[in-house]
Amino acid sequence: MAHRKVNVDQYADEDIFVDENQTAQGSTAVSAQTEADVDARAGEVRNYLSRGDTPAAVIKALENPPAGREVTAVKDKNTATVMSALAAARSTDILAIVKSLDSKQTDVLMKYIYRGMASPELYNAAVLLAWHEKTVEVAGLGSIVRVLTDRRTV
Amino acid sequence: MSSPEVYQLAIGTPITCHAFNKDRTQLAVSPNSNDVEIYQKGRTGQWELLHTLAKHDRMVTGIDWAPNTNRLVTCSQDRNAYVWDWDGKKWEPNLCLLRINRAATFVQWSPKEDKFAVASGARLISVCYFEQENNWWVSKHIKKPIRSTITSIAWHPDNMLLAAGSTDMKARVFSAYIKGVDSPRTYPLWGEKLPFNTLCGEFGSEGGGWVHSVGFSPSGDSVAWVSHDSTLSIAHGRDSVPVEVPTGGLPLVSMIWTSETSIVAVGHDCTPFLFALRGQQWEVIGKLDQGQKKAAASSSAFKMFQQMDSRAQQQNNEVELNTTHQNTITCVRAYAGSPDHVTKFSTSGVDGKLVIWDLLSSGMAGLSI
Repeated sequence: MAHRKVNVDQYADEDIFVDENQTAQGSTAVSAQTEADVDARAGEVRNYLSRGDTPAAVIKALENPPAGREVTAVKDKNTATVMSALAAARSTDILAIVKSLDSKQTDVLMKYIYRGMASPELYNAAVLLAWHEKTVEVAGLGSIVRVLTDRRTV
Repeated sequence: MSSPEVYQLAIGTPITCHAFNKDRTQLAVSPNSNDVEIYQKGRTGQWELLHTLAKHDRMVTGIDWAPNTNRLVTCSQDRNAYVWDWDGKKWEPNLCLLRINRAATFVQWSPKEDKFAVASGARLISVCYFEQENNWWVSKHIKKPIRSTITSIAWHPDNMLLAAGSTDMKARVFSAYIKGVDSPRTYPLWGEKLPFNTLCGEFGSEGGGWVHSVGFSPSGDSVAWVSHDSTLSIAHGRDSVPVEVPTGGLPLVSMIWTSETSIVAVGHDCTPFLFALRGQQWEVIGKLDQGQKKAAASSSAFKMFQQMDSRAQQQNNEVELNTTHQNTITCVRAYAGSPDHVTKFSTSGVDGKLVIWDLLSSGMAGLSI
């Protein structure tokens, strides 16, 4: 199997593979500003939740998500914010909330649903499955396909 | 709704791509092998196999039939392209020197039929033209700034510009101006000075998703593409911001413009989708195959035991979809009408079927497109 480890690109006379993911379109830069934004958003979402306004909390939480490979800590923090909003919704309200979102927002929501399901030790998968069902009902399979292809991971 | 014409050309074999001749009496298909099959429409209305063109030695990935010169061009994973001339008795192959080191993936004649472009996995496009003095098809390469396999190409109606979709998530517009073949000209939307390989536009979607298919609108002012993120995107000129139309379905893999304001796209959902410009906005109008409810498969225990008894079947493995195509549709082409008013289109797919659809009577007639 030694040949499997050979980097064939080095024998090509063309230019070699360049990893563009760091500079991929839409990925968030590491900066104090990004972190401050995420913290501020977490506060606002908490405010909405304490007032019992879950729909506004969900919409706020899905705003301007940090994405990309570099900003893991910030992404984790933002995921926690989104999850707190999703967990607060009553199961009977989920469909109405999803229906009020536009297509960009449902795509972001779907990304966070999968992000949450990737850490079952942190987030309640039963809640996420309920959200997943309603989101597919509204946005179709296309929203799942876009989670798979999108390189701006959350 | 008049039902579409359905032909089961291959059984158990996908149809990779298909192309019709000018009067639609003959049909070339690649049955997912290294052969190209030419069919003729028989008296019974069925397609009868006329010739098998066996020259490639890997799978044929692209076929295009030039309507006026009646020439075929085919490309294959064996890295070659052949131009086939009909000499009255048989199809005569002429090799074209593509100079590529990866598979060829797609081929298309230019509108004037004096050039064709071959997409390939070698991160380049070979633009081929006939050199009189050498009596040979030669090629020029469009290389920059392509970073990955080209999956699809489309010619501008003016014979000079070329749109290309790539797995590096970008759709691009290039100049394919060949000295001695084309006369130089300019486009208000795509650029002024256009020597060969000029990049006249580079578009990507935010989400990413490799591009499966591209197409120029009948006027050549807009370029549209479908990508693996289940999205149709449309750009109008080199500096425009593309409009994105996300769909709720599985990815679309092939598309055509049916007028300046409407697009038909096909893909993994086994049914053609119609998109149209309504007011200022591009929208998914709907599925063109409404599907017929098949007799509901009963899954009762009684039925299961009955099947085990009568057909020695353990379980019912035959899944039948409600749609005409029973698997992914991989190719869509205009069949009748003019470029800016396509009335019929043909599709072929993994289920080995060729289907001819009437756009007007396909249940969407009431819509003003």
